[in-house]
Amino acid sequence: MKKNKQTKKKSRKTTLHRRLLLFFLSVSIFLIVSFSLTLSLFGINGGEENSVKNHISTELSIIAEEINKNFGLTSLRGIEIAEETVKLGEEFFQSRNISPSELSSHPEMIEPLLSRFMPTLVNTIKNEYCGGVFVILDASVTENKSENGNRKSGIFIKKTQPTSTDSVGVDLHFLRGPAKIARENNIMLLGQWIMEFDISGQDFFKKTIDTAKNNPQLPISRLYYWSGRITLKGNSESGFLLCVPMRGSDGTVFGICGIEISDRLFKENYSPEGGTYNNIFTAMAPRNGSDLITSEGLIAGNLYLTGTRWEHNLEFTEKNNGVVYFSNKNGSFGGLTEEIILYPSNSAYKDSESWSIAVLLDKQELTSAINGNLFYFIITAVTLILFSIVISYFISKRYLRPISEAFHSIKHESHEERNSTNYHEISDLFDFLAEKDKKYEDHIKQKEEDSLKLRSEYEKTQLELSRLAYSRKQEVDPLLYQQFLDNLSTLTPTERTVFDLYIEGKHASEIMKILGIKENTLKYHNKNIYSKLGVSSRKELLRYAAIMNREQ
Amino acid sequence: MKKLLSSVIILGLCTAILSSCNIFSSRDKNTVTLNMWHNYGGDMQETMDLLIDEFNSTEGKDNGIIINVTAISSSSELNQSLDMIANGDPGAPEIPDIFTGYPKTAIKFTENNMLVNLNDYFSSDELDLYVEAFITEGKLDDGGLYVFPIAKSTEVLYLNRTLFDKFAAATGADESDLATFEGIAELATDYYSYSEGKQFFSADSWFNLTEAGSAQLGSSIFDNNGLSLNNDEFSYIFNEIFTPCVQGGFAIYDGYSSDLSKTGDIVCSTGSSAGILFYGDTITYSDGTVEQVTYDILPYPVFEGGKKTALQRGGGLMVAKSTEEKEKAACTFIKWLTSPEQNIRFIAKTGYLPVTKQAFETDLPSQFESLSDIRIKKMLTSVLAMYSEYNFFTAPNYSSFDNDSSVFEKKFIDIMNKSSDKFISGDTVDSNEALSELISVFSQ
Repeated sequence: MKKNKQTKKKSRKTTLHRRLLLFFLSVSIFLIVSFSLTLSLFGINGGEENSVKNHISTELSIIAEEINKNFGLTSLRGIEIAEETVKLGEEFFQSRNISPSELSSHPEMIEPLLSRFMPTLVNTIKNEYCGGVFVILDASVTENKSENGNRKSGIFIKKTQPTSTDSVGVDLHFLRGPAKIARENNIMLLGQWIMEFDISGQDFFKKTIDTAKNNPQLPISRLYYWSGRITLKGNSESGFLLCVPMRGSDGTVFGICGIEISDRLFKENYSPEGGTYNNIFTAMAPRNGSDLITSEGLIAGNLYLTGTRWEHNLEFTEKNNGVVYFSNKNGSFGGLTEEIILYPSNSAYKDSESWSIAVLLDKQELTSAINGNLFYFIITAVTLILFSIVISYFISKRYLRPISEAFHSIKHESHEERNSTNYHEISDLFDFLAEKDKKYEDHIKQKEEDSLKLRSEYEKTQLELSRLAYSRKQEVDPLLYQQFLDNLSTLTPTERTVFDLYIEGKHASEIMKILGIKENTLKYHNKNIYSKLGVSSRKELLRYAAIMNREQ
Repeated sequence: MKKLLSSVIILGLCTAILSSCNIFSSRDKNTVTLNMWHNYGGDMQETMDLLIDEFNSTEGKDNGIIINVTAISSSSELNQSLDMIANGDPGAPEIPDIFTGYPKTAIKFTENNMLVNLNDYFSSDELDLYVEAFITEGKLDDGGLYVFPIAKSTEVLYLNRTLFDKFAAATGADESDLATFEGIAELATDYYSYSEGKQFFSADSWFNLTEAGSAQLGSSIFDNNGLSLNNDEFSYIFNEIFTPCVQGGFAIYDGYSSDLSKTGDIVCSTGSSAGILFYGDTITYSDGTVEQVTYDILPYPVFEGGKKTALQRGGGLMVAKSTEEKEKAACTFIKWLTSPEQNIRFIAKTGYLPVTKQAFETDLPSQFESLSDIRIKKMLTSVLAMYSEYNFFTAPNYSSFDNDSSVFEKKFIDIMNKSSDKFISGDTVDSNEALSELISVFSQ
């Protein structure tokens, strides 16, 4: 049992290198695991959907806040334009002695009326982040019955740099309106200029006018309308139009005015930060249930220059783990959505128009971002662990090198040659060992001297014993001695052993202990020995034995 | 054995680290977003937008480059903003990474070391693929290439064929008179009478007209990096256009002639061949009547006795100095955009001339018949004919060129308007007096 324990202890023995390696590895892996857990705790591991969702959520909240604020301010500015133009219009009608409803019968008055609106429009476009400003009258200079009243006179001024409010470097252009007014105001005509609006197939004008007519009790601030994405006939750029009815004090709605949020302005202002996910984009559109009517919305993002190319609505497919998924013919997308409030509580459009903003990612990119992060995270952790194993191996080996060298030195070199180490601890060990060596040498020397002394005394004693034996032989009876010698062979093996132990100088108690026998047994053997050898006492026995030894 | 084991572990580790680095680098390959300003607005915008969209989703996607267009404006508007940036004016916008402009703009930027010398990113073999004259135009005095040609144009005579035919039918006006400025001046006087006070001709830029006229007559309005108008050729040009400008026939208008054409206020005008899309196919009168018309593109008129010479126009792309990564990305985009395939697609929709030899000499003639836009077809027919008959020159590059041309234009219009007012009010007008006034502005 004892032996087994000793063997086990021996098998647990290990090298210092292995022990140090294990220590380093434990520390490294502990640190890596702790670091990973900390990152996970704070969601920095890119762990699964959290980091992507956080990114999208942050972008969405920033953009939604901006849109709510900016569209709200634009709506207010639109109402101001309406109030100013209505005031200017009424002054004009009064000076010409006509009522607003008679304007369509006086096409010659349209140009002078529009001319009066120019300062308001120019002032607005220069001070607003917008794609353009407009006034559309419910009248035409060429009212043609064959066109079913789809031609409308008005002015649409465009700004080529929608986010600029500087007067330097930004020119204004007429997209619609009488060329004469443009020239009077030093404004150039756009390539797509035509004089009048053609509203066929587009309902923004009629809808705004009709709603205002049908809700005479509502103030203008509850009658403005945000159109979905519109591309005016012949124009290459599209945008949302804020349409505010121009309603005279007699209740006649004689036109609309407003501000355009062009797709380029939308893109410039509301593109999500594209550094992390290339295909991330914002979509703002009217909502139909859970679907986004992107055919009437605008999109903004790195890869999308204009919204005009999205003719398909985003159909809701599923909501999974908080992420909303849509698809259309352009692909499948996932992200987050938020409702946008474009109208005040008692607006005429409050119940019929609901809008949403979404920050979306291509579904494939979203999936790869979700899986990719975890994959990269694991790869990083595994790489770090591998790295720490190798580093631990080399560091522990290098750390123990002075100790190995010291052992080598201790084994193979004299202590005078050992003092070449740079490490205090090893130097101290060498000093300690040198001192030990010296003490040991001194001890050995002393032992040798003692041994020599003892030897000399032993030899002297032996000589004395020889002399004594000789003298004793003379004193014993030769016959009895001869009988003693002859009967030695008659002793049993046990008796012989007891006899030999006596001769060696052992006492009775020692013999009992050595042979593991009791006193009575020894006495029994003694009696037999004495009887066979013819002696009467242990003293006589030892005397004959001494003579015998001497003779041998 | 131990050594072998160590080697295997190290090798494995290196592989793991390298592969993970590679994974990370492909994931985190920094996408370079380049802000771009260009002047291809109006009908040209959609073509440019589509090309940029295509680049972003193909070549750009592969190379981690996104072109983000932050301003689309007329070249004069862009020029004003770029001027502010180059001069470091307070409130100037941030310089875009890529922008369209002219060599004269590049001078200001290079004085402040703000532009990339594109020679550093284009090998001589690559540059050999482009029409040499177009590349030369983008080089400045230090030999560096700062303005990379993307599409070129010249000046032509736009003729409202519908109005002219009516006029010719009524008066017997000879179309061949449109070949010279003197002939146009005579026709203008006749048209003014015929139309009871309507103008016949206008120029997008009177400065360009006198610059080209001087070149035709073997002279120049430039001397020592400035304007020098005190010569016989300029006096001749001035006097030839003075009478119709003052007495009626030539419209003095501070804007593009296409604006006047759209309302039927002129019959013909000189302007950039790239302006074809601004002319449309209708004119709208002030009473709202819309008339369907057709335009013809005629070669640039020549002063009598002068050589057939016209201005070569069209700026190019400049790249702002930035990180090497951004500069390289910008050049990758330029190479893609100006490659023959993209170049032809762009010119087929805009009426510009291509800049690569292959597109200019091989692709354009072979694909000419397949061009869908009749206006573009007419334009390219005329311009290609001009390239075989005309000499072309480019405006000189010196830092105050913009200012000189702008002051000239304003002063010219101002003098003509004043003289016209005097004429209408019955006072005597003297062209020499007006000429002296104009010359004196630049001799001070």
